[in-house]
Amino acid sequence: MSAVWLAARAAVRRRRLQTAVVGIVVGVSTTMIVVALGLLAVSSGPFDQAYARQLGAHLAVTYDRAKATDAQLTAAAGWSGVEAVAGPFPQATVELGALGRPRAQPLTVVGRADPEGPVDRLNVWDGRWATAPGEIVVNQNPVGQGFFFRIGDQVTTPEGGTLTVVGRAFSMSRSADAWVSPEQMATLGPTATQMLYRFAAAGTTAQVEAGQAEVTKGVPAQARLGSTSYLVLRNEAAREAATYVTFLVAFGLLGLAVAILIVANVVSGAVVAGFRHIGVLKALGFTPTQVLVVYLTMVSVPAVAGCALGTVLGNVLARPLLSQAFRNLGSAGIGVPAWVSVAALLGVPLMVALSALVPALRARRLPAAEAISAGSAQHAGRGLRAQRWLSGTRLPRAVSLGLGLPFARPARSALTMAAVVLGVTSVTLAIGLGDSLNRYQRAEARSGAVQVEVFPAGGPRGGSPGDEALLRSVPGTRYVLGSADVPVRQVGNNEQTMLRLYKGDTGPLGQQVLDGRWPSGPGEVAVAKRFLVQRGLSIGDTFTIEAGQGPVPVRIVGMVLYNETETIVADWSTAALVAPDAVLDRFEVQLAEGTDPQAYMAEVTKAAPNLVAVPPEGAEQFVWIVLVTVTLLTLMLAVVAALGVFNTAVLSTRERRRDLGMLKSIGMTPGQVVVMVVTSMAALGALGGLLGIPIGVAAHRVVLPAMADAAQVGFPASVLDVYKLPILALLALAGVAIAAVGALMPARSAARVTIAEVLHNE
Amino acid sequence: MTMSDEANEPAVVQLSGVRKEYGDAIALDGVSLEVRAGEAVAVMGPSGSGKSTLLNVIAGLDRPTGGSVVVHGDDLGRLDEKGLALFRRRRIGMIFQFFNLIDDLPALDNVALAAQLAGVAAPHARRRALELLDELGIAGRRNTYPAQLSGGERQRVAVARALMNRPALLLADEPTGALDSRVGEQVMDLLLDLNQIGQTLLMVTHDERLATRCASRVIEIVDGRVARERTLERTS
Ligand SMILES: Nc1ncnc2c1ncn2[C@@H]1O[C@H](COP(=O)(O)OP(=O)(O)OP(=O)(O)O)[C@@H](O)[C@H]1O
Ligand SMILES: [Mg+2]
Repeated sequence: MSAVWLAARAAVRRRRLQTAVVGIVVGVSTTMIVVALGLLAVSSGPFDQAYARQLGAHLAVTYDRAKATDAQLTAAAGWSGVEAVAGPFPQATVELGALGRPRAQPLTVVGRADPEGPVDRLNVWDGRWATAPGEIVVNQNPVGQGFFFRIGDQVTTPEGGTLTVVGRAFSMSRSADAWVSPEQMATLGPTATQMLYRFAAAGTTAQVEAGQAEVTKGVPAQARLGSTSYLVLRNEAAREAATYVTFLVAFGLLGLAVAILIVANVVSGAVVAGFRHIGVLKALGFTPTQVLVVYLTMVSVPAVAGCALGTVLGNVLARPLLSQAFRNLGSAGIGVPAWVSVAALLGVPLMVALSALVPALRARRLPAAEAISAGSAQHAGRGLRAQRWLSGTRLPRAVSLGLGLPFARPARSALTMAAVVLGVTSVTLAIGLGDSLNRYQRAEARSGAVQVEVFPAGGPRGGSPGDEALLRSVPGTRYVLGSADVPVRQVGNNEQTMLRLYKGDTGPLGQQVLDGRWPSGPGEVAVAKRFLVQRGLSIGDTFTIEAGQGPVPVRIVGMVLYNETETIVADWSTAALVAPDAVLDRFEVQLAEGTDPQAYMAEVTKAAPNLVAVPPEGAEQFVWIVLVTVTLLTLMLAVVAALGVFNTAVLSTRERRRDLGMLKSIGMTPGQVVVMVVTSMAALGALGGLLGIPIGVAAHRVVLPAMADAAQVGFPASVLDVYKLPILALLALAGVAIAAVGALMPARSAARVTIAEVLHNE
Repeated sequence: MTMSDEANEPAVVQLSGVRKEYGDAIALDGVSLEVRAGEAVAVMGPSGSGKSTLLNVIAGLDRPTGGSVVVHGDDLGRLDEKGLALFRRRRIGMIFQFFNLIDDLPALDNVALAAQLAGVAAPHARRRALELLDELGIAGRRNTYPAQLSGGERQRVAVARALMNRPALLLADEPTGALDSRVGEQVMDLLLDLNQIGQTLLMVTHDERLATRCASRVIEIVDGRVARERTLERTS
């Protein structure tokens, strides 16, 4: 065995470059595989995983403290279907002011002695838990952004007391906005009691509702103030994630395919390149099996090293990506699951071994004499016709020689090209999907149209009838679209539904109409695609809503672009039928050209003290994720594809050292050598681009509608129409560029070949 | 052609004090020599004495570590890599022991290649290549690939390729080394014929008989030095 090890070690040392290429390619590929699998693993139910980790509440119920005692609630929670229960916790809605903020905010504060417990284990990710009076912990997503409390901030209670923020915690159950110690809670005058339940069976709304019925048995009927099912949170999370999970999955799979292809190409190339060495080993008396072992060892050493490094790197890269992608779940514990690393550490070397095995088995069978001559004796007869034809063309000879090179080893060229094709396909798809999602998100958020949002300072339903006119009078106002939300229920359906009544400039500011038209008269509504799908309705159908005024039949006249499933859009004229006293309580504003939004917002506050103007929520967050993912995967794919090309170029120039020496001896300049080698690979790149781009565009046409279907969203045609000529040209160049970059270094080293040496030696 | 004629011809090759070291090994140790236009010079010597190194230095395939090499007026020490490539293309034709043909190209294209690299269009290059193959008596094998040619035929293709750009100097490193004696003689005759129509020739050979047959002068190299020079009366 020691002779085998010695030979393998020598082989690794002598082939530093080859060894390095195998190591790097396996490393980058493993990184990609870990990120890809990590995305796949985490995206299959990220909410459930994160929720389970926090032992999130299946049901959170708030009871009136005056009507139900703690003892009653605890007794009722003794039902056998309750897996775990937390509480009773005293709860109050407190107007908490903070330094530097104009208005106090009503926050739900709960008194809790510790963040752990059988239900709703809080992730205290910053600071510590509130244990003494005067301390408060706020609920905040660790990867959230924007306005938030920081440790050390002072908040004031309505009674004039001061609380210091000592910690930031995250509750996926959204059980409170802030927590204080039970002793502190007593001073805040709790009016309610919170109970958090986990049920043995909580898969469906019916099960959660049944659970609720059980745990409220024996509690006075009027005591329950409100409750939240985790299914609502889950739907919300799923809706946010669904759009790009499909996208990430598509990429995960593509990355995987490219990685496998290139590893196979590089590894089998390494073995084929060693045929001559195999002959020498055999001549020395190595048995065929020993030869096999030498070769497997030779590629295994760098492969295992690359795999280990790649796994680490993949984990490191995936973490920020995943926690950004699923930030609404809090970053706690969101990382690549351990099984992914294990799979990569076992699977990649196995894949490498398999790629090496086929040529290694061939090496094992190869007679020594044939193997020794394999390096120099070319198998004449391959691609000769192409060479022949090329030599007669008007192209510079260096170029036509280069174009002929890929024909000499058709199998290797095909593998290299397949990798380039897949690489270009993925890049095409990535850019297309990224652009599409961006367009969708911007269209959905009406980015550009809505520049400022205005709310009545008094909160929902705090508006007054004169608000719209007042707003229109502010200089710089171009269009105003006011709305009011009225909670309704579709008769025969239990889901809470919101009727959004619009008044004002719906043309420029309203949601895009995907089908049908915008509702214009009383009793006409428009809905999102998901509403139609989930309720089995279509345009033209009539259904009945209930809003306290008695049943009102409404007719669907259009499908519009927005993502809030449980919202129905109607014209203000419908208010008369449903809620005659409704008042506009949200205004979306587009400014006159050249108006500075910042100045405008200040202007609004000055002109109308009862209104608050804020910038609209942008689509930036989502765009960021898509951008990072696209960039990361595109870069990795490009690097791996370029490395594949690099490897092929290295192998083919090595094999053709003698030809290169001869060509130089008859006057080929170093420049011509570079042109020849780069051309040979750029040809593969160009062909790869030519095939990869249409495949990528076709894949985009398939994947995007599939994604939209999965997310049950409708989208305008403009979202699909992303491939413009300049982009396509750029993509075509990308294929050539990847190949040229990969070939440049081997080409230059080929240009430096010492002619005397190769011609002398071979 | 007589001795005195050649002595009056300009020097095609001028070496003075050329050294070539490979690490500690000294391959050439102060070689000075001249080859005049129209001469046929044979370089002989024991194995490892530096003959191939000498040829490579003259062809600009290798750079000496000391001394100067001037070929056809070009001081090779002053040329960069590209300059050397262009120099080889225009001035030098080289023939090797193992032919060094490109296996993927048929005989004709192997020969045409040398001109095509210099930018000659394919039809012109092929026409001239065919003329050369015809002159060397293997025009009938023009579409054959090297693997299917005999050793002698391969060497003729190599000679044709070396002549393609009308070189000032034809260099041959054991051109008959890989051939049996009968075929070797044919190749030697070919070189002799070329010399007789004015081609300057510098060749390395182990075969004293062949040297005396077609060289007018023999330079003997021992341990990287010129040990002896003798002028020959050609036997044919
Ligand atoms: N690339 C090289 N690296 C190191 N040493 C070299 C190299 N090329 C030649 N040598 C050494 O230089 C010396 C001269 O070599 P060269 O090939 O010129 O000999 P030669 O006279 O042609 O021999 P032969 O008749 O066997 O062909 C030898 O000792 C050889 O080992
Ligand atoms: Mg030699």
